Amino acid sequence: MSYIFNRLLSIALTLFLISVITFAVTTILPGDVATMIMGTQSNPQALAGLRKTLGLNDPLVVQYGRWIAGMATGDWGNSLVFKVPIADLLVQKVKASSLIVVMSMGIALICAVPLGVWAAVHRDRWQDGASSSAALLGVSLPDFFWGIMMILLFARTLGWFPSSGFADPSVNLGQALAHAFLPSLALGLGLMAQLTRMTRATMIGILGQEFIRVGRAKGLKERTIVWHYALANAIGPVITVAGLQVGYLFGSIIVIETLFNYTGMGWLTYQALLNRDIPLIQATVFVIAAVVMLANLAVDLLYLYFDPRIRLA
Amino acid sequence: MKRFLTAKGLFGAALVIAMVLIAIVAPLVIPADYGTRMTMTARLRPPSELHWFGTDQLGRDLFYRVMLGARTSLGIAVAAVLMSLVLGLPIGMVAGFYRGRIDSALMRLVDTLLSFPVLLLALTISAMLGPSIPNAIIAIGVAFTPFLARIVRGEALRVTQMPYVEAARAAGATDLSLVLRHVAPNVMPPIIVQATISLAFAVLAEAGLSFLGLGTQPPQSSWGLMIQASRDYLDVAPWTGLVPGAAVAVTVLGLNMSGDILRDVFDPRTR
Amino acid sequence: MSSGAETLVISQDGVRRPLVAIENLRVEFKTDSVTTIAVDGVSFSIEPGETVCLVGESGSGKSVTSLSLMRLVEFGGGRISGGELKFAPRKGEAVDLTKASQEFMRALRGNQIGMIFQEPMTSLNPVFTIERQLVDGLKAHRGLKRDKARARALELLRGVRVPEPERRLKQYPHELSGGMRQRVVIAMAMACEPRLLIADEPTTALDVTIQAEILALIDRLKRENRMAVLFVTHDMAVVAQMADRVVVMHRSKIVEQGDVEAIFENPQADYTRMLLAAVPKLGAMRGTTAPAPMHRIGDSASPRRSVSPARREPRPLLEVKNLTTRYPVKGGVLRRVVANVHAVEDVSFTINAGETFSLVGESGCGKSSCGRSILRLVEPQSGEVRLNGREIRSLGPAELREARRDMQMVFQDPFASLNPLRRLRDQVAEPLFNFGLASKSEIADRVAELFDRVDLPRGFLNRYPHELSGGQRQRVAIARAIAPHPSLVIADEAVSALDVSVQAQVLNLLAELQADLGLSFLFISHDIAVVERISHNVGVMYLGRLVEFGSRPAVFEDARHPYTKSLMAAVPVADPRRRRIHEAPSAKPLASPIFPLGHKAEPSTYDEVTDGHFVLRHS
Repeated sequence: MSYIFNRLLSIALTLFLISVITFAVTTILPGDVATMIMGTQSNPQALAGLRKTLGLNDPLVVQYGRWIAGMATGDWGNSLVFKVPIADLLVQKVKASSLIVVMSMGIALICAVPLGVWAAVHRDRWQDGASSSAALLGVSLPDFFWGIMMILLFARTLGWFPSSGFADPSVNLGQALAHAFLPSLALGLGLMAQLTRMTRATMIGILGQEFIRVGRAKGLKERTIVWHYALANAIGPVITVAGLQVGYLFGSIIVIETLFNYTGMGWLTYQALLNRDIPLIQATVFVIAAVVMLANLAVDLLYLYFDPRIRLA
Repeated sequence: MKRFLTAKGLFGAALVIAMVLIAIVAPLVIPADYGTRMTMTARLRPPSELHWFGTDQLGRDLFYRVMLGARTSLGIAVAAVLMSLVLGLPIGMVAGFYRGRIDSALMRLVDTLLSFPVLLLALTISAMLGPSIPNAIIAIGVAFTPFLARIVRGEALRVTQMPYVEAARAAGATDLSLVLRHVAPNVMPPIIVQATISLAFAVLAEAGLSFLGLGTQPPQSSWGLMIQASRDYLDVAPWTGLVPGAAVAVTVLGLNMSGDILRDVFDPRTR
Repeated sequence: MSSGAETLVISQDGVRRPLVAIENLRVEFKTDSVTTIAVDGVSFSIEPGETVCLVGESGSGKSVTSLSLMRLVEFGGGRISGGELKFAPRKGEAVDLTKASQEFMRALRGNQIGMIFQEPMTSLNPVFTIERQLVDGLKAHRGLKRDKARARALELLRGVRVPEPERRLKQYPHELSGGMRQRVVIAMAMACEPRLLIADEPTTALDVTIQAEILALIDRLKRENRMAVLFVTHDMAVVAQMADRVVVMHRSKIVEQGDVEAIFENPQADYTRMLLAAVPKLGAMRGTTAPAPMHRIGDSASPRRSVSPARREPRPLLEVKNLTTRYPVKGGVLRRVVANVHAVEDVSFTINAGETFSLVGESGCGKSSCGRSILRLVEPQSGEVRLNGREIRSLGPAELREARRDMQMVFQDPFASLNPLRRLRDQVAEPLFNFGLASKSEIADRVAELFDRVDLPRGFLNRYPHELSGGQRQRVAIARAIAPHPSLVIADEAVSALDVSVQAQVLNLLAELQADLGLSFLFISHDIAVVERISHNVGVMYLGRLVEFGSRPAVFEDARHPYTKSLMAAVPVADPRRRRIHEAPSAKPLASPIFPLGHKAEPSTYDEVTDGHFVLRHS
């Protein structure tokens, strides 16, 4: 019981810090908001009036308090660019991004784990060389490059998938998946490469441990040793690393969604940044950081499930 | 040293050195007026003897553009990583060496910062400061700092628990001499490996920033900008996108390979 | 020595053949285009039901030989490049295992040949239950279904005397102690009633009392199952206790082999004699009062320096009174302190100048923490520590630094106690530098002299740690320790990680230094036979308390405290005529020095049973 309470306290504290950092980055940095909105040629009086309306002359702490209070009561303000309440925008966009994040993670894990195990088992032979080289290349190209290649190949040339746009899964699942597929694949390739390398390294470490030798001395089949004995120990670390990659993914969606015109959180964030829509920037950055933090938390709990040493301690 | 001389190590190092040389040599080789000497008829020419990589949509020689892009991208990457080292090393060393409450407090802050995706942080800082090369350096440098601080802290923690540090303490070393003579030198090798890998990420980050228009601004050349500019012409002139993409790939690949090999070289178990 | 009517292996032509016959075995390893020959022309045999001990120091090839028998060397990058490994299976003709397929070997492993290894802490899969690990071998070889397999698993656990076997089945390895885990590993190896059990240093990583239990267990299982045992070890005392026959290996070759009594009483090869001489025998010091140097065959008849017994002035150098050190145990998300480890609890003793006081005990008894508390590398809770009359605990940081001039430490791990990136001469010079004991020009000379003093060639001055062997690194550590002319040197398991022959050299070096420089030693060790040889006075620690202390003859020949007695009884004696393997009815439960917060520890009270010999009052 106290464990759960402690955990919740920890989460609250982190959320608080996240909000402070978000606020700091968007307000402390030089650059006058009013000017950004109305342009540098505007009438100074109009600028002053706007500043007053937006409450920009109040001390920072007060502005922060106003912002936090608003969020807590569900009023996230209005987007300067889209002219609609931010809260409405967020809900829909978060759903959209979650779809491609989950899909890309799924694609990556399903391919990377067996590939990594295979490479580890055939260490230093051609299988290892081939898959490791491919993985190295995958990690070395930017996501948006893969995205462009996807568009060229699957959309323009083959015409299998749409190259832009977004469809709501609750309205039409098939359409939604079709639109989500290419972005997920573009995201997933880089992730897959990273996870393959990581799985390989983890498996090599595990295969060098004493209990593997003991397993062989018992006369177990090599297949059992690799895919049961060893892999059961590798899943934990691999899941952890995959979970930590969620943070990286939520950064990449800014580029990928923009590339594919897929209207999720990444696309929204970019629009906000491009147009200096401060309230929207604050909201999207906060939400993304909070989601990443919660994802990391979920990974911690998942790791508990896989490693009895921690579970029972 | 022997361990570096594998195929992977030599190849990786060769790629990196090649890119660095290109970056250095660029302004000496490129004619000063290449940017203005554009003719509409020379637009989107495929690779040929005259233009080794072809020309872009404004008729500029792509080979020159890639060379200048090397300067920008590598320059920003190196500066950003240096900045993250300058910021991250002290934080990590203090946390790892003194441990206790200082460590908990610093790491709480660092971990919270790590909830912000690196690219998001870099983009936001760049947008708020106004996109330019110096601001891109600051944005990427600050965004990389938490990750590096965490790694430094981990290494400092590991080293300070080694018996030779205790032995030095027993031999009358002051905290300062402990850090200078024992902790720092043994922390540096893994940090060098991490810095190399960070360089790779920094090049990718800069490409991403420029691609979105929040990094290097035209008319300066950056590989990310070139890829962005090529989007409309990929059907008719794919080389305009493939060439800068390949440039990024080659640089990052070289850095990653070098990082991998350096990690093996410095692995204490294989001494 | 061989047992009676065990299953003789009679082959087709009616001639009795051995269970295992190794002929001219040759094993190579290839790393980075350098080929190392690990085993070169090794030949010996194992009869059914007998124990053959394969003994040698590190690098002798003994482990590789045993792994080759299981054809497990291939998995570690090795290659059998010559020779034959004949094994007589339960049914059929003897087979040459070097020519067998891996599939054939797989059917043999864990079935007709069982193997147990050195590290119980890592021998079990951390994420599988005990039941699963016991049962998967049974399923693979005998095809047992779940209920029958479970029943057999319980039977096996009872056979190895694991208490509460039903409960253990559901547990995970990290919930078991090291000794318990090794019992489970033995149970796994015994699952299919193998004809041969290969034990590769199975007790090296265990405490001496646990070692005694495991040795007794292996011996009993061998007799009950009429099993042959190939026992690989570096410990001649264990060999004396366990072996029917002995095979001595040195640098990939066999040096000598024969019956255990013949080897111990009449060793032929020089190496065997050297090995036997270097091993301290418990009980050999009976009747003497002073420490004696380790024997070394190969020394010139007249030693370089005559080691006269150190002049003993009964002047107290180090006085420890009521020393208590506790480590907090943190738990929960907010990492608050939930309990304390009472590592050192109310410990008091005195070391006189020029003497060696040994602190002996098993792992976790607090002896290392005691040494580190005296140096204040870890801060004690309470108590007094006086060096040359000066109270150490109350010193401020600058004064403490200065006081450390007078007491230095040599650590256990010769590899980790030297900075891998600094030259050796700089590391030995460091204390001189820090304490300002010599000017820059003098330092180089002083360091060179120190290297001479510890018998290291001056050519090593410019080298780095990784270029030296373990024993050489330890000499560097000793040079560094004596550089500031301390009165006291704390040796924390300083020779435990060294080979027996190297260990003898280093111990003699320490004795010389004591005689020449008047050094006092606090010698912390778990090796009781070594302690018997080199100490003036001894203290026995258990669960953080000093349970018995006094002069060495008093504690060793007249042990009074029950723990001391059980410790002495458990130490293997390097004399095959004095075998004393007996098994306790069940595995000892381990007491723990962890107490909840606010636990009031009782003070230590002692009875003086004879002059200067104190025993902790126990209930």
